[in-house]
Amino acid sequence: MKRNLFAILSVMVLASLMLAACGGGGAQPAAITIEGLEEKDFAPVKYEAPNCEYGGEFKSMEAVDENTVRFTLCVPDPAFPSKIAFSAFAVQPKEYLEFTGATGSILEKPIGTGPYYVAQWERGNQLVFKRFDAYWGEKAKTETLVFRWGSESAQRLLELQSGTVDGIDNPAPDDFAVIEADPNLQLKPRPALNIFYIGMNNTYPPFDDERVRQAIAMGIDRQRIVDNFYPAGSEVATHFTPCAIPNGCVGDPWYEFNPEAARALLAEAGFPDGFKTKLYYRDVVRGYLPQVSNVAQDIQAQLKANLNIDAEIEVQESGTFLDNADSGKLDGLHLLGWGADYPDQTNFLDYHFGAGASKQFGNKFPDITENLAKAAQLASDAEREPYYVAANNAIRQHVPMIPVAHGGSATAFKASVEGAHSSPLGNENFAVMSIAGQDTFVWMQNAEPISLYCADETDGESLRACEQVTQSLLGYQIAGTAVEPVLAESYEANEDLTVWTFKLRPNIKFHNGFTLDAADVVESLVLQWDAAHPLHKGNTGAFSYWSGLFGTFLNAPAE
Amino acid sequence: MTQATQSVTVLDPEGISLKSVSLWNITLRRLRRRKSAIIGLTILSILTFIALTAQWLAPYDPYTPLIGIEEVKAREAPCIHLLGCPETKPQHILGIDGNVRDQFSRLLYGARLSLMIGFSTVTFAIVIGTVLGALGGYLGGWVDNVIMRFMDVLLAFPSLLLAIAIVTVLGPGLINALLAIGIVSIPAYARVVRASVLSVREMDYVSASRALGGSMTQILFRRILPNALTPLIVQGTLGIATAILDAAALSFLGLGAQPPTPEWGSMLGAERNQVFTAPHLVFFPGIAIALTVLAFNLLGDGLRDALDPRLAHVS
Amino acid sequence: MTTYILRRLLSSIPVLLGILFVTFALGRWIPGDPCRAILGEKATDAVCNDFIHRHGLDRPIPVQFGYYIREVAQGDFGRSFRFSKSVNELLVERLPITIELSFAALFVSIIVGIPLGVISAVRHNSWVDVLTMLWANIGVSMPVFWLGLMLAYIFALALKDTPFQLPPSGRLSPGVLTVPFYEVWNLPLQPGSFLYGVLDFIARMNILNSLLSLNFEVLRDAVRHLILPALALGTIPMALIARMARSSMLEVLGQDYIRTARAKGLRQRVVIMKHAFRNALLPLVTVIGLSLGGLLGGAVLTETVFNLSGVGRILYDAITARDYGIVQAFTVVIAIFFVILNLLVDISYAYLDPRIRLD
Repeated sequence: MKRNLFAILSVMVLASLMLAACGGGGAQPAAITIEGLEEKDFAPVKYEAPNCEYGGEFKSMEAVDENTVRFTLCVPDPAFPSKIAFSAFAVQPKEYLEFTGATGSILEKPIGTGPYYVAQWERGNQLVFKRFDAYWGEKAKTETLVFRWGSESAQRLLELQSGTVDGIDNPAPDDFAVIEADPNLQLKPRPALNIFYIGMNNTYPPFDDERVRQAIAMGIDRQRIVDNFYPAGSEVATHFTPCAIPNGCVGDPWYEFNPEAARALLAEAGFPDGFKTKLYYRDVVRGYLPQVSNVAQDIQAQLKANLNIDAEIEVQESGTFLDNADSGKLDGLHLLGWGADYPDQTNFLDYHFGAGASKQFGNKFPDITENLAKAAQLASDAEREPYYVAANNAIRQHVPMIPVAHGGSATAFKASVEGAHSSPLGNENFAVMSIAGQDTFVWMQNAEPISLYCADETDGESLRACEQVTQSLLGYQIAGTAVEPVLAESYEANEDLTVWTFKLRPNIKFHNGFTLDAADVVESLVLQWDAAHPLHKGNTGAFSYWSGLFGTFLNAPAE
Repeated sequence: MTQATQSVTVLDPEGISLKSVSLWNITLRRLRRRKSAIIGLTILSILTFIALTAQWLAPYDPYTPLIGIEEVKAREAPCIHLLGCPETKPQHILGIDGNVRDQFSRLLYGARLSLMIGFSTVTFAIVIGTVLGALGGYLGGWVDNVIMRFMDVLLAFPSLLLAIAIVTVLGPGLINALLAIGIVSIPAYARVVRASVLSVREMDYVSASRALGGSMTQILFRRILPNALTPLIVQGTLGIATAILDAAALSFLGLGAQPPTPEWGSMLGAERNQVFTAPHLVFFPGIAIALTVLAFNLLGDGLRDALDPRLAHVS
Repeated sequence: MTTYILRRLLSSIPVLLGILFVTFALGRWIPGDPCRAILGEKATDAVCNDFIHRHGLDRPIPVQFGYYIREVAQGDFGRSFRFSKSVNELLVERLPITIELSFAALFVSIIVGIPLGVISAVRHNSWVDVLTMLWANIGVSMPVFWLGLMLAYIFALALKDTPFQLPPSGRLSPGVLTVPFYEVWNLPLQPGSFLYGVLDFIARMNILNSLLSLNFEVLRDAVRHLILPALALGTIPMALIARMARSSMLEVLGQDYIRTARAKGLRQRVVIMKHAFRNALLPLVTVIGLSLGGLLGGAVLTETVFNLSGVGRILYDAITARDYGIVQAFTVVIAIFFVILNLLVDISYAYLDPRIRLD
C-alpha cells in the first residue's frame, strides 16, 4: 500500500519535472477599474478649526476652485513645503476614499496618480506594479516593477549576484567592497541624513552630573567606531544634525577623543574607579546603525578600557525599548538614532531637545529649548542661524547624548541598470530605472510593506512602495532633498508664512481614469487631520506622521 | 516495630550499593564494547578538558577587540602559518569575528557555556520532573490527573515555540533561556518517572516497606525512585543534546545569551548575514554545536543499549 | 474502537482548555506595549491611549479572557493589530506555506529515510549500514538553522552557474505569477464564502495549485525553491526515520516467522517486502506522526533562514511585535493540530496493531 503511494507520488513529481520545461504563462491583470465607483463633479469645500487652541498646526483647508487648494496655519511654518511633500500626504480620489471608508481594500490597492499602479500583491511573496500609460509626467521606463523583500542582507546580495533581482536595498557594510569590486554590479551610496547617538537620562545618577556625561563624551573613540563598523560614506558626527540640513552643523564641533582628560574629569566627579551601569539597545538595523550588536559591544569594550565603566548589555524588544526610552525609564546608556522625515532642523533638534520633547534625556535645558523655540518661528535660514549656533553649543555643553555617527547606507544594482540611484530619504524612484531589453525590474528591500495606504504607515518599506503609486502636492527631487512641485505646479505663501496656496496641474488622471481636483486633495488630508472624520480609519488609525509633523488632531478624543 | 525498621535500615544501604555497583560494572563493561559510545565519550572528555582549561588554551582574550592591538580587520579569514599564511601576520586559526576578536578563543570559551547549559537545564528539568512524576504516580487520583493534564498541555506545543514564548515573557537572556528550555523539557522526565513509579508501586517489596511503616518520602526515595534511575540517565543524556540545540536556536534568534558572551548559537546568529562573505564565522560555531550534540547523542544511545537488560544477550 | 476514540477525544478537552488558557496568559504576560511595538517610534501618548482603548486592552484581564473563549468557540480568532486583518484571513494566507514546507520535508525524509533504514537492516554491519548510522547520528545533531545556511551557501553560491544552483530564498522567482486553480477552472465563487476560503487555502500551496492548474512552469519554479528548505527541515526526521526503520526491521528479521518464510524457500525480496517490511512499519507510524509535529518547531528556524513567510516566521515576528491576536490564534491552532495528530497516531497504532487492547 505504502509502496503504491510512493509510486504515484514519484510519478507525479517526475512527470511534473519533465513537463516543467514547457508550459504557459500567467494572465495579465487589466488597468484598475473599481465596480460601482462613479466620478462626482467638483464642488468647493472648506474645513476650518473653530480656533487654534486644540494644539495642532492647521487652522483651515479649502478647495477654492477645481485647481486651487489653500491652507491656513495657526503658526508660521517655514518648513511647510518640506512637510506637505511627504508621501503620507499623498492624494487619492475622494470617491475612492469614501467608497472604501479609507480602510479595507484601500490598504492593498491604492489609486494614485503615479507612474505605476498596483497590479498584484501576493502577500508574503511579491508586490507587482505595472506602468500607468496615462501618467501625466514622463512615463515609467520599465513596464513591470516587482518588489520583493528579505530581512537578511546576505540573502539580498546573493539574489543580486545570482541575477534574480536587479536592485537591492541596504547591503551589509562588509559587502560594499565586494559590490564595488564586481564589474557586474554598481553601488549607490546613500547620503547620511541621520544620526546615531548614545543617550543618557540626566535624572539617574551618576548621569545627573554634567562632568560624568562630558567624561563619557570625551572617553569614547568615535572615529574607531565609524572606521570599524560603518560603511564608506559614513562620518563621525560633529553635531547632532547632519551638515546637509540647513544650519545643521553650526556652532562648535564635538569633543575630541581624550581618554586622559576623560578619566580626570570622571575622577573629579567622584568616580576615579569608574562605575557599573547598563547599555540598552534594540537589535534593529537602521541606516544610522548598520551593525547594532557589534557597535554596542565595541562601546562596551571602550567604556571598560578608557573609563573603567562596566556597562552590562541589555537588548530590549524594539517596542519596549522605544517605550522605555520615551518615558525616561532607561537608567543607563542607550543606543538610538534618528533618520530625517523632512530636511529641516526642527525635525532633528526640536523633536529631541525642544520644550515638547519626551523624557528620553531627562530634564530639559532652558538654554537649548529657548533658542530652539525662537528659531522655529523665523522664516529664513540666515535669521535662524544664530539661535541654532547657540542651541548646538548648549547641547555640546550639557551632553544630553553623545552624537556618534551619520551612518551611510547604500543601494546596489546590476551594472546594466540605467538611472540607478539612491535617495537620502529612502524614496528611490523606479520609474526612471531600466535595463535595456528587459521589461521587468525587480527590487528587493528589507521587508514587506505593511499596507499601501501610507497616510497611516510609518516604515520606510511601506513608504517606498507607496511612492511609486501615489503622489503628494509637492515631492522631493530624485536622489535629493530639495522640494519640487508634483501635483501642484506652483505654490505661494503670504508674508508671515501662515497662508499657503497651491495651484494644481490641470488634467491629471488617477489610475482609474478619474481627474484630480482640489476636493480630492482636501479630502485626502482632512480625514487625517480630523479625528472625528468618518474616514479617519486607515490601517491602525494612528496617522502618526500627521500628528508627528502637524501636532494634535482636530477633535482628538479626550483622555 | 522499632527493631524491624532498624534492621531494614541496616540492611538497606548494603543492598542498594551492592546492586548498583554491579549494575555500574555491567554497564561500563557493555559501554566499552559499543564503538559509538566510546566515540561519544571521547569527544565529551575533550570538550570537558577544553571547557576546564579554556583560559590557558585560548591564545587571546575572548572579550577584547584587537583594534589598535594587532593589524587585523573585522571578519578576516583564518590565518594559519603552517598553511602558508605569511609569518608577518598574526596567527588566527579560525579568523577574526565581527568585533575584531579571535574566533578560536571565543569558540573555546563557548564549550564551557554549552556544557553548562546542557547540564543545568537537564538537572533542573530532572529535579522538577521527578518530583511531579513521582507525586503523580505515587498519589494517583486527582493529583495525578492535574499534573499529567498540565504536562499534556506543555507537550501540546512544539517545544521550541513554547520556549520562545516563555523567553519573550521572561525577557531575553541566557538564564531565562535556560529556564524556558528547562520548563519545556519537564514533561519528558515527569512521564518517565511516573511510569516507573506506577510499575513498582504495587510490587511486594514496596508494599512490605509500606507495611513496615516507612514514610512516604522514604518509600519514594529508597524503594521506588532507584527504579527510575536507568531510564532517567538515558533520557537525561539525550536530553542534554536537545537542550544544547534548543539553547543554540534561541540564541540564534537573539533570545538567549547576550553579547559579548561567547555562546556558539549567538556567535552564529550574529554573523549569519556574513555567511557568504565570511563563511568561517558561521561554519565553525555550527560544527562545534553539532559535535557536542553528537557526543551526547552517541553516549545516550550507548547508555540505553548498555542499560537495557533486554539487550543483554546482544552485547 | 468507537468508544476508544470517544474516550481519547474526551480526555483531550481539558488539554484544549489548558492550551487556550496558556496561550491567553502568554499573550498578556508578554511585557511591552503593543501600541509602540506596532505603531513605531513616532507614535505619541495620545495616539497610543486611543489605540489601547479601541482594542479593548484596558478591560480587566478576566473579562478579556471571557471574550477570548467566546470568540474562539465561534471560530473567530480576532484581528491582528499589525496587519489590520482578521486572523482567520492570515491563517488562510500563511498556514499553507508551512504545511507545504512540512509535507515536503516529511516527503524527503520518508523517501530517503525508510529505504536507508531498510537497506542497512538487511545488510546489517555492512559499510552501507555503518555510513547510514553515522549519517543518522550526525543528522540529528546538526542545528537546523546552521544546516540551512550551509545548504544555501553551497547550492546558491558555491554551485553558482552550474545546473545544481538553487535559489536561497523565497517561494517563487520574481515576476512568476500564480493564478489560483479555481480561476483557471472558471469556478463561480463568492469571495468570502466558506468554499472560497477552502479553495483559496489549497490554491496557496504553490505545488498543489500548479498541478491543479497544469501550470508546469510555476511548478518547476516552486519545486526548485522548496528543495533547500525541505532538505534542511527534513534532515532530523530523516535521521530518526532511518534509525527507527533499521531497528524495527532488525527486530522483525530476527523473528521466527521470517526464518520460517526463508526456510520455505521464499525469495529474499519477497520475504523482506511482504513479510518483514509490513510488520516493521508499525513503529514508523509513530515516529512519522510525531516528526510532523516537531517539524513545526523547526519551521520557525527554517522559515527565518530561507525567508519564507509561513506560520513559524509570522509567529516569531508576532511575539516580538506583541501582536496578541496572532500569537494566540497561531499557537492555539498549532497546539490543536498537535493534539489531533497525537490522537491520530494513537488511533492508527491501535488500528494497525491488533495486540493493543483498546481499553
